[in-house]
Amino acid sequence: MDLIRQWTRALLHPIIGGRRTKGLSFVDIFSKFQTILELNNRILDLMAEMGDKLSGEYIFDKQYIRTACEQMSDYVYKLIYNLDAIAPHKYLALYDAFNRISSEIQDELEGRIVIPESDLTMPYSLVSRDFSDVVGAKNANLAEIKNFLRVRTPEGFAITTRAFKAYMDYNGLWEEISQIAEAWTRSEIGTTEASKKIQELIRGGTIPPKLKKQLKKAIEILSEQEPGKAVYLAIRSSAWGEDTENTFAGQFLSLLNEPAENLAEAYKEVLASAYSPSAMEYRREKGYSEKEVVMAVACQVMVDAAVSGVLYTLDPQDPQKEAMVVSASWGLGAPIVSGDVTPDQFKISREPPHEVRGLKVVRKTKQMVVKPEGGTEIVPVPDELQTKASLTNDQLSELAEHAVMIERYFKKPQDIEFAYDHSGQLYILQARQLYIRSQGAKLVCDIPSALRKAHTIFSGRGDIAQKGVGIGKVFLVKSDEDLERFPEGAVLVARNTSPRFAKVIRKAAAVLTDIGSHTGHMATIAREFRVPTIVNTGIATKVLKQGQEVTVDAEENVVYEGKVKELCYYEFNEEPFEETYEYRLLRRVLKKISPLNLLDPLDKKFRPRYCKTFHDITRFVHEKAVEEIIELSYYGTRNSHTPPLHLDLPVPLDLVLIDMGDGLSVGHVSRKVHIEEIRSIPMAAFVKGLLCPGAWSTEPMSVDFGSFMSSLTRTFSSSLATPKYVGQNLAVLSLNYVNISLRLGYHFNMIDAYVSDNINDNYAYFRFLGGVTELSRRSRRAKLVGEILTMNDFRVDLRGDLVVGRVKKLDMEEMKEKLRVIGVLVAFTRQLDVQMVNDNQVNKFIEAFQTLNVGAATVH
Amino acid sequence: MEGHKTTSILILDDEPIVCKRLKSALEKKGYEVEIFFRSSDAFKRITERTFDIVITDLKMEGLDGMAFLTEVKKRSPTTEVIVITGFATMETAKESFQRGVFDFLAKPFKLGEIQDAVERAERKIKGITS
Repeated sequence: MDLIRQWTRALLHPIIGGRRTKGLSFVDIFSKFQTILELNNRILDLMAEMGDKLSGEYIFDKQYIRTACEQMSDYVYKLIYNLDAIAPHKYLALYDAFNRISSEIQDELEGRIVIPESDLTMPYSLVSRDFSDVVGAKNANLAEIKNFLRVRTPEGFAITTRAFKAYMDYNGLWEEISQIAEAWTRSEIGTTEASKKIQELIRGGTIPPKLKKQLKKAIEILSEQEPGKAVYLAIRSSAWGEDTENTFAGQFLSLLNEPAENLAEAYKEVLASAYSPSAMEYRREKGYSEKEVVMAVACQVMVDAAVSGVLYTLDPQDPQKEAMVVSASWGLGAPIVSGDVTPDQFKISREPPHEVRGLKVVRKTKQMVVKPEGGTEIVPVPDELQTKASLTNDQLSELAEHAVMIERYFKKPQDIEFAYDHSGQLYILQARQLYIRSQGAKLVCDIPSALRKAHTIFSGRGDIAQKGVGIGKVFLVKSDEDLERFPEGAVLVARNTSPRFAKVIRKAAAVLTDIGSHTGHMATIAREFRVPTIVNTGIATKVLKQGQEVTVDAEENVVYEGKVKELCYYEFNEEPFEETYEYRLLRRVLKKISPLNLLDPLDKKFRPRYCKTFHDITRFVHEKAVEEIIELSYYGTRNSHTPPLHLDLPVPLDLVLIDMGDGLSVGHVSRKVHIEEIRSIPMAAFVKGLLCPGAWSTEPMSVDFGSFMSSLTRTFSSSLATPKYVGQNLAVLSLNYVNISLRLGYHFNMIDAYVSDNINDNYAYFRFLGGVTELSRRSRRAKLVGEILTMNDFRVDLRGDLVVGRVKKLDMEEMKEKLRVIGVLVAFTRQLDVQMVNDNQVNKFIEAFQTLNVGAATVH
Repeated sequence: MEGHKTTSILILDDEPIVCKRLKSALEKKGYEVEIFFRSSDAFKRITERTFDIVITDLKMEGLDGMAFLTEVKKRSPTTEVIVITGFATMETAKESFQRGVFDFLAKPFKLGEIQDAVERAERKIKGITS
């Protein structure tokens, strides 16, 4: 009787009896899980490989991009398929997400630039060089220096080429303009007449309602920046493509200090200027058709300039002199650019500390200023300012530093427009490539002979993470304090790569490390900032001395003694590979593949619908696969005759173990597993850290009831369908793998790691989500955890009270050490629930942790 | 310099990005480089002069790369040919070597790899054993 009851119960068991009848034994399921892990790794590797191609070291073509995307698609599809096998029909929405993202990638590959229909305007915070086809080079460059280099530029937004098309479509202008253009081409009407007719048509049009709405919204956002103050704009054209940008220079209209209410009319004026007689002539000469006119517009908050000017990072008359030239005068810069005003001239050295090499101060009698009601006017310069130099040495220094940084980023000599407002704040208004006419025969004659003269310190060592040439003084970075003191334009030399370098990388001329991977996070940052980087040289810190001047050629992989200027100039002459179509295409495609948005499995947005990239899908599948394993192994067996395994620990932590195979030593008998019986490499390392002496506070945690209640309602998110995930700590393990979910002291920690002999497969992922107490305390604690992880070279994502730390591709010993640190951290933070009352204590706790951690490390 | 003339290189690939970047990287090393996107233009050029080294893609419109390299070797047996291709297979590699190709590089390749191949080809031409 009992036996029958047991059998019936077994048959009704969801795994054997229910939907999984077709299925899959535990062994099959674990093996599918292993496949998922492998695919996961292959996907991440391929992502890194594709990212690698952005370093400039490779020559690749469109074919490569297509092939790599196909391969990626294939892997991701298989990944979803395998999850489906473990949990049939449970995650069908993943196929939808997959199709959606695949077709977006397909669109990119086929040249259909994918911008959402709604984006007729884009705030600068969202613009990057990947959008230059949509916002024009001027807007793209400005947004890049604003968002990346954190250079101060006026707030603003771009009115995209889509808006232009929408305007033309809405008013049915294409046809009419076409007719006029044809008549003009056939010389039936003259340029002046054709231009006049077209411009009238454009001015006479109506702004489509959608565009009107977006313009209004964009202005609202700007006015929120300074509430109560009216918004005045500088409205300029931002032409399509770098070449056209420069050659059309001065032919399109700029409107200054326009009141925001006038934006619509001003926009029409700027559009109309695309059909000025000179612009039309120019296009005809160059072979562009009138139908190819596409215009984007830049709208920036008007800077009420006290002094403005233009800076060239090289002297066009004498490029080899190593000097920058600055022209400046009082008021707005427009008259300087147009030549209506003769400005002061300054020559400053390109090298820090940018000493002033020459200056020519002229008598400045007039200046252009803004009118309070809108528009500009020319007024006389007060007597006491007429012969005063328009820029101080400090301002020149500040300008020089910014200029060098911008030049380094774009790898081209720059033509920079700037302004200082009445409070002394510097604004960069525009940055574009400086064309030096004397080039023909390059600035540099004979590179090979210049290189023969240079003395090589070392070469052919390590891996190039980012191509380029950097010249500067060596600055050895051993600690965080060193990073704080990192000088502008120095060459960063360190033992290992670290995401912490992101803080200073925009100041660096180049980066050299002894160890580290060229596919790691730091490499990604180096590429974003285009800083020449060579990693894994083995000897950089030993052979290079602090303050030594070097030239890092991260193209040929050579580090030279001293300055090899010729290399730098040579770079100026190359078309930066970053500007090529293939490179931009790869970047755009990778945007749909690499960024990780789904960070927190407890978030209600952790769903297929919110997957924006293949990486999101990969993360989702990984998390869900683990959940399924837990569901099947632990909760599935709850009613069966095999009770779960518990880890025997000297601290009050109840941890259930699910062994997928080889995680525990053979022959352990009882339900209690001893620490020595753990074969799983990452698990053992983690436990070592967890049991670090002193880390685990034995004091009871006094939690007030209110906080306790708030933690309950907070951590049990509705996305977790059942409450069974609450309460039980679980570890899924195998020899090289571990996934641990811990609810310790109302925190929710998750550790997922793979540690093996193969450095390429190794990774560790740690998620910390605080419980108890209110948000400010939780965020403080998250910040603490984030700091500690950063100090230990994890790549950290901090979102409110959620911290995610990741590390990968380290050798086995290093990975074990990272897991040990996580163990100590988990134990340590348990006691912090209630203790961390204010921010000052964060540092105190960091110190306490360090003492603990270092102590433990030396003991073991 | 030392009285020897600069090594000349012809590059044929229908992807302009490949030609441009190769040209730039090799000229920096001091080579004389001519680039062609269309095999018909390249074909015409080799009737006008010989090159020390030819770098060519295999799969292109019009004249097949394999036919081109055969023609090059026929006209100038001492010219060393380096094949670059995005569709590297054992068969194409074997066939290329049978036709006397000096080296075979699969795309995408590192700049360093192609520069290295060119250097080795140059040494062979000059009869210098490494």
